[in-house]
Order: sequence, then structure tokens, then C-alpha cells
Amino acid sequence: MTPPAPITGLVQRVTRQIRLRRAEHAGVRGAFWGAVGAALVLVFKGPLGAASIGSAVALVAVGVLAGLAWGLLRRVDARDAAHVADRAFALDDRVATVLEWAGRPDRSPLVDALVADTLARVEALAPRRIVRRVLPREARWLPVPVLTALALSLAPPVPMPTGGLPDFLPSRGEDEREERSASTLLEERTRALAKQPLKRAMLEERDFAQRAGAGGATSPGDLTAIFKDTSLSGHRPDFNSFLKKGDERLKLLEHVDRLPDLQSDFTSTSYKMVFRKSKALTSGLRPDQITPQKLKELLEEMERLGRKGGTWGGDAAEGMEALEGGQTDKALEAMQKALDKMRAMDAAQRSGKGLRGGRERDRGARGRDAGRGGGEGYDEQDFGDADGLLPGRGRSPMPKGEATARLRATPYDVGVEGESRQGRKDGYDTNLTGRAGSMGSRLQYLGVIGQYRKQMEDAITREQVPREYHDQIKDYFQALDER
Amino acid sequence: MSQEERAQAFVGAFRALQTEVEKVIVGHGEIIAHVLTGMFAGGHVLLEGVPGLGKTLLVKTLAEGLELSFSRIQFTPDLMPSDIVGTNIIVEDADGRKHFQFQHGPIFAHILLADEINRATPKTQSALLEGMQEGAVTVGGASRPLPAPFFVLATQNPIEMEGTYPLPEAQLDRFLFKLRVRYPAIEELNAIIDRTTRSRQVGIERVMSGPTVLGFRELVREVPIASHVRDFASTIVMATHPQWELAPDVTRRYVRYGASPRGAQALVLGAKVRALAEGRYNVSIEDIKALAAPALRHRLILNFEGEAEGVDTDILVGQVVESVEAASVERREPFLQ
Repeated sequence: MTPPAPITGLVQRVTRQIRLRRAEHAGVRGAFWGAVGAALVLVFKGPLGAASIGSAVALVAVGVLAGLAWGLLRRVDARDAAHVADRAFALDDRVATVLEWAGRPDRSPLVDALVADTLARVEALAPRRIVRRVLPREARWLPVPVLTALALSLAPPVPMPTGGLPDFLPSRGEDEREERSASTLLEERTRALAKQPLKRAMLEERDFAQRAGAGGATSPGDLTAIFKDTSLSGHRPDFNSFLKKGDERLKLLEHVDRLPDLQSDFTSTSYKMVFRKSKALTSGLRPDQITPQKLKELLEEMERLGRKGGTWGGDAAEGMEALEGGQTDKALEAMQKALDKMRAMDAAQRSGKGLRGGRERDRGARGRDAGRGGGEGYDEQDFGDADGLLPGRGRSPMPKGEATARLRATPYDVGVEGESRQGRKDGYDTNLTGRAGSMGSRLQYLGVIGQYRKQMEDAITREQVPREYHDQIKDYFQALDER
Repeated sequence: MSQEERAQAFVGAFRALQTEVEKVIVGHGEIIAHVLTGMFAGGHVLLEGVPGLGKTLLVKTLAEGLELSFSRIQFTPDLMPSDIVGTNIIVEDADGRKHFQFQHGPIFAHILLADEINRATPKTQSALLEGMQEGAVTVGGASRPLPAPFFVLATQNPIEMEGTYPLPEAQLDRFLFKLRVRYPAIEELNAIIDRTTRSRQVGIERVMSGPTVLGFRELVREVPIASHVRDFASTIVMATHPQWELAPDVTRRYVRYGASPRGAQALVLGAKVRALAEGRYNVSIEDIKALAAPALRHRLILNFEGEAEGVDTDILVGQVVESVEAASVERREPFLQ
């Protein structure tokens, strides 16, 4: 079953209207751009002559015709036309539905009723234009290129810049220079210059006499040898080897990783790097939310660092095994163990114990001296009796410096760094989670607040919190953020 | 009877039933129409509103207007599943022999009013699930079909949430529509006072039987829908998903989970009933827009931001529909608008 003729006729009428409006739209755009082209052509009226006016008119005509043709020939989908008809005549999508369903084999008997109903409504319609005229943006600016083109066609040709670049060759005669120069001083100067013939730059080969006493052997890269080596005067300058060396140095710069990192010893350690990465990986997330791929990468990196002389390689390997077995919790524990070991080693290195230098030697010597004298050196000191490094105990030499200054070096790390002391621990080594006075908490603030925030959001979305308290809770956490 | 005549009969029956209910219920014309739409679409309806707005009366009146069995369950915290579906009891016959006999619960009715459904425990609420979805209940290993048509009208109170058990999302999704019964205007309130404080009771005529309802349900499904109208409905449902790449900003900001495919089914089925009830044989864009809120408001789960800011899901759905419509207009050529 095909849609009845009045319905298809309505769709065709609307299609024609759409084409006309589209042609108008595209024609105006074509006219605008044609006029722009015509104005450009008329700018060159001088060199082009009378042909420019013909070309300009042709450009405008081509623009208009191209637009009209594009608008008229472009296909209009019957469904689109049906939608337009439905909207314009308030037919509640009847025409579009009939067009789609009338020819379908699976149509229900209600479709026949729909066709009959739509036919009755369409036949009752008074034909009118329903597609509105839409002018393009270019229509507003169309007078500008048209008037410009008209003005240019009526006005005299635009003067074009002529000639080429000034000739600086000295072969010109004096008379010509005299005509151009205005001031007498300049004239004199130019005359004087003109009388002196210009010399061409020439490369000359020169032989340098060899200095007496020269000829000592030098090694490449020995800068001092340049000043010592007087035999250089006996050589011709070798530009090729100079360029070659330059190229090699540039190539060296491309391999930055092979260059020594002069700052790494002072500003970043492998522990800090790994610590930051582990923080970025785990902060505020539960073990099941952590990306296993990233955790694996971190553990691999730790294991690689461990192979270079660390003791945490085994832990990292254990963590990777746990991760492969899908046990993220265990992997995280292993990572933490390895991190602790790295931290211990880092602390040991920072305290000077790992360095071979004067300080250790001094201390060793003092220790030995003290040992000889019946006392103990610093290396052999036992801090296990609640003395030593504790503040206020009097005997602490504070070899690591002020703890607070070290801890607040980064805004994110407010936990206690370093290992806890061996031996008895009295109240100083507690896992305090509350607000500490001058003492740092062991928990990472951002991690903890992230967890609490997540729990709070879960509680609210599960409707465990009365609605009246939502604003208060939200304000509280927002205040924490601002702080 | 031709399909056209059946469609005309549906229009007449729909309007007659609406008129009968409106004899008792004042000022809830849209709610009544949506309840009837849900019934003819073959779904279940959840009515939400504060006490005293006539939710229960609406359902009772509707049941009186239909030649169908009706039962009411007042949900309380100590209600058990067996109180709803029934249980096997031991009976003794004339010979003195004892055997189990199934005692039908109140769910075995055509129209079931589940009053204050959120006051029962989740276990009891879930006893309704199978019946609502499958049209049958399983007791003692035996599946027992419910009478057809089976239509659940549940009510719940949005205040006094203490001691209630909000319906889980899975159960909410089984309701075709969630309707919000609002407070009447002053004129409507005056009419309520006039009608309910007189001695004369209004009589309700029975205008439709069970088989008629079932016949109309089949007829509704034959209403054709154009592909662009169907696309509009599915785009609205997709636009409620924050993960969808074309989701509007309002969805990304406030929604945690969007509507399920059941939401799209509810939207289109409801639109078919609405079209037929208005005397049309096809679904229009306007039908979809009119039913977007009842079909989708209970299927959106707000995120923390939405909950904390008290975002109204009706407004949210309205904004989603507007954004979908605006996007479709933007995609069209100016001559095609």
C-alpha cells in the first residue's frame, strides 16, 4: 500500500518549497562571495584593463547561479518534508507516520485507520507557504562588497606599486647618484664612497710559522692543551673536524638521559620519587579502586631499583606475584614494606652514615678515641633507652637536624618520616590519628580525607543520612577543602 | 468490529471511566488519566503524595468503575510475605483426613491497592516483585498465575520517613509510572468539601470488564510509531545516562544512574495509550514529552551533588527533554524547522 496521492502531493509541495528557500539562501551566499571576488578583481583594474569589469560581473553571476543550482538540486528527504508539514499544519506526526508505515508489510490494521484519518485532514488543508525564508549571515554584509565593487568599477584604477628592489651595486655612475641625493653633505659622502672601489671578501690561505719549542702530545678534549700547544700555529684550520665535533656534541645533547644529573643528589632521591608515585596511586582510594596496571608498574620500578643494591627487591617481587594472583591488598602491603625499606636506606644515606667522607671519618675517629678513653662513639651509641634523640632529654646531638623543618618540606607529606627507634618506646611512637599539636600524624591527610569524603558520599547516596543534614555535611567538607 | 471501531470504543471507554472516577476525585484529572494510561499499557503505578490527598480513594473508585476484583493491603512493618501471596494451611476433610490447602492471599485480585508500600520490610515488598513482573507467584514450589488483568496501584508517603523502607531501585523500576499527587487548588478544595460533607453518596457505574481491558491492551500495542518519534524517546532515555557522550550537562552534574530500557518501554507504551485516548492512531512527539516525567522520574538515581542540592527529578527530566529537543532542532537545517 502506498500513501494516497493527496498525502504524497503535500509532501512534494513542501519539498518544492524547501528547495526554493534553500536556493534563495544559497544564492544570496553565492552573490556575497561573488561580489567579494569581483571587488578583488576590480582592485587590479589598472593592470587588467577593461577585462576586469567583465570578470567581476561574471564572478557575481557565477556565485549567484552556483548557489541557486546547489539549493535547487540538493536532495530533500521526504521524511524531512513530512516533519515540516506535520509541524506547520499541526498534524501530530501523522504524515511522517503514514509515509513510513503505509508501505510496510508488518503494518497493523490501525495503520489503515491512520491513513484514512490523515487523508481526511490533508484534504481539508488550505495550501499555503509553510517553509519560512531564512537569510544567511552574508545577506547583512552583501551591500559592502557590492558597493565596493561598484565604486571600484567607476573610480580610476588603483595605483599599483612599481619597480623592484633598490640596486645597491657600486657599478652605477656618479651622475645617477647625484640626481637622487638631496643634501650636499650626502652628495659628498656618496661621491667619496663611490670613488673607493669596494673590495670583495676573499678567503686567503695563510701559512703560520711554527713556534719554537712546540710539538707536545695532546689528547682530544684537553682544553688546556690548546693554550699550551703551540704546534697549532703550524696547522691549517681544519673546519671539517670542527664541524664534526660540533655535530657529536649536539648528538650528545639529544641523549639527555646519559648526561649526569647534577641536582639529583640533593633534591630528589629514588625513595622520594617512588614515594610520590605511591601517594599519587593510593591516595583516597580503596584497594579495589586502584589500577592494577599502575601498581604493577610501580612495583616493577621498585624491584628495578632494588636490584641496584637495595634490600626491598624481594618485597617488590612478592607484591608483583600477589598482584598477578589478584590480591591487591597483599600487593599493597608488599609495596608498603618495600617503601619502608627504601625510606630506611634513604634516611641512613641522608644522615651521613652511607657516605664516605670526612664527617664519618671524623666521627669514627672520635668514636675510636672515645672508645679508647672508655666512652662510646656516636656510631656505637645506643638510643634504645628513651634518651638520645628525644626532645628535652638533653643529650641529643640532633644529627638529622630539626624534624619539623624536614617534615614540612612538602605540603602533602605531614607524616613522620624515618624509622622508629629501636628498643623501648614511651608514648612517642603512637599511631595518633587526631589533631596533633607539634607532633606529626602517621596518617596522610589527603588520603584520609579522601576516604572520609567517599564514605560520606556513599552514605548520602544510599539515603543513610536524613535529607535535612545534607547541606550541613556538604558545608563541612567544603570548609575542609577551603582550609 | 473493525480496528477503527475498536479504537473509537477505546476512546469512549477511556473517557467514560475517567468521568466516573472524576465524579469522586476532584482536581486530579492528569493523575487519573495517567493511572488509566498505566492500566491500559499493562503496567503498575506508584502514587506518591502526602496523606489525605485521595490516593486510596482514587484507586478504590477506579476499582468500582471496573468489573474487576479488588483487594487492598495496608503495608505495615510486621507484614509478612505470606500475608500477601497466601500460604498452605492444613485442612481436614469430611473423612477426617488432613491435607494442605492453599489459602490465596490478597494478591490474587485484578486490582491490588498496596497502601503505604514503603512501610513494609524489603522482604515483604519483594514478595510483590514476582507478581508484578511475571503475573504469577510461587508458593511452596508451585507457581500460581494471578488473574488477568493484574494491576498494582501502590501508594507511598514522601514524609514521615522514619520507620519506613524506601523501595529499592529494582522494585521501583517495575512500576510503569510514578505519579506525584499534589495538593489541590482552593477551588478544587471547595469542591471536595462540597462533595464529601453531604449526605448523598455518589454512585459509580461499572463501565468496563476484565476482558475489555485486556482487549484494549492488545489494541494499544498496534498503534504505529514513526521512527523519528521512537528515536526521540530513546534519545531522552539515553540522555539520562551521565556516561553517554552526548548527555546534557545537567545529567552529567546530577545523575548517578540513568533510566533503564524499561523506562523507554514505559515511555513508548504510555505514549501509545495517550495517542489512542486522544483519538489518534499514531504516536507523536507531544505524547512522549507528556509522559517523560511519570515514566522516568523514579528511574533516575541522583548522585551526591544532586541529593545534597535537593534536585527535583521532575525538573531534571524536563531539562533533559528540552536539551534533547534543542539538540535535534540544532541538527536540522533552518528550512526544516
